[in-house]
Amino acid sequence: MTAALELDRVSHSFRTRGALDDFSIVVHPGEVVAMIGFNGAGKTTAMRVLAGRLRPSHGTARLLGRDPHDVSGRNARRFGHLIDAPLAHPDLTVTENVRSAARLHGLDRATAAGATTAVIGQLALEPWADARSAALSQGNRQRLGIACATVHSPEAIVLDEPTSALDPRGVVVVRDLIRASAASGAAILVSSHHLDEVSRVADRIVVVHGGRVVGALEPGSTDLERRFFELVHDADTRTPDPERAS
Amino acid sequence: MTNFTAAWETEWLLCLRSTIVRIATALLVFVIPAGAIGAVALSRSGTTATVTTAKFAPYASGPLAETHVLVAAQVMSVALLMAGGFAMAWTFGQEVASGLAGARTGMATSRAGVALAKVLVHLTWLTGCVIAVVGLTVTASALVCAVTGVPFDDGAWSRAGLALVAGLLSAGLTIPFGWVATVTRSPLGTIGVLIGVVVVTQLVTALGGGAWFPYAAPSLWTEMGGPEAAAAVGLPHLLLAAAVMPAGAIAVVHAWRRLDDL
Repeated sequence: MTAALELDRVSHSFRTRGALDDFSIVVHPGEVVAMIGFNGAGKTTAMRVLAGRLRPSHGTARLLGRDPHDVSGRNARRFGHLIDAPLAHPDLTVTENVRSAARLHGLDRATAAGATTAVIGQLALEPWADARSAALSQGNRQRLGIACATVHSPEAIVLDEPTSALDPRGVVVVRDLIRASAASGAAILVSSHHLDEVSRVADRIVVVHGGRVVGALEPGSTDLERRFFELVHDADTRTPDPERAS
Repeated sequence: MTNFTAAWETEWLLCLRSTIVRIATALLVFVIPAGAIGAVALSRSGTTATVTTAKFAPYASGPLAETHVLVAAQVMSVALLMAGGFAMAWTFGQEVASGLAGARTGMATSRAGVALAKVLVHLTWLTGCVIAVVGLTVTASALVCAVTGVPFDDGAWSRAGLALVAGLLSAGLTIPFGWVATVTRSPLGTIGVLIGVVVVTQLVTALGGGAWFPYAAPSLWTEMGGPEAAAAVGLPHLLLAAAVMPAGAIAVVHAWRRLDDL
């Protein structure tokens, strides 16, 4: 099966700071892959490369089989992402933002209106439908961002820490949306700091450390935390820390 | 550029909701006509000479309606540059600085299409302001003439045409600030560049090179520097000023297409 999202030996540095080091990952249609790692491990950078927001210095990125910087029209219609800032303008209401996102993602006016209503309901944003997004709490802004990224039912989705600011109900809502999208055949890549949360939503968990994938964890298995720290420790032991070496 | 209609609709909505656009529109459309009528009235009021009335001395003579419209054209040529420059800094710079431009990556509507829509919406908004300013000034001038019994001279219509063209040229001069906002990734930095351009324009004009400087030509053409300076502004100078708009549009669309590290 052709991967919908793929990074093949991608490396990138920001001036003197290495961000990605021979980073490889694949996500196939219908599966949810979670990246887990410390702050600064390279998860967000990897996602930015996949979304076409950063040109890596080495390696290959593929989004639905195409270079992410060359995705347009029909292929772009099949992709959605939420990395850092959402596709939501503070001056527009929740409904206006989601409808604009739907139109910008390629839906016609009639389809965009229906999809907007559906995703606002799916993410439990109805009470704030007419509120300006600048007035929303951080958690609701995050839900709005997810709504804008998924309103057009994309086939490839990249979500950077989608539940970080959400309350328990919001976490369940987003988890249900991710699982429903995967069940419909979407390839989904998420990142998180929370092992128990990714264990509930992911089909595979990859551990990212020092800009590379250093191992995998089995979702649902016991003692994930201990296994995670073992993988990170083994990675540190195998590869001397360049900062400490200098 | 695919799906341009969606970009156009979104940018219009953002323009209507923008606080900067609302404030700038109110200032341009109401303050300029009122200021023009007031400045001419002050200059012809016969009050004791002060520094202020000395500045308005050029408005103390000449056909009344023509002078109203000419003053409005002079003020508008500078005010439009400032208002439009601020708006460009907001519409382009804020999205790049906040990360919203990054969220626009990988969509069915390309970033280049979004940038072009921003430029066209911006120009449409400013064109509307120019037409409103000139229309309201002519209307107010006609009312003043009717009330005071002064004939509404036909020369006012040719001045209205000059004001429209000078205003549209000034609107076009704001487009490159979208490119500045994109490459600096800073709305405030762009405001700094805007202020710098205004300062440089003043210096170039003082040194006598204003007609060939695109940012000075429209203002000089409205007799901001006096009738002699206006007479030195010809079609080549105005065409050079007009060329700034398409050049700026191409530059900002290209910059948005090539944005990286978002």
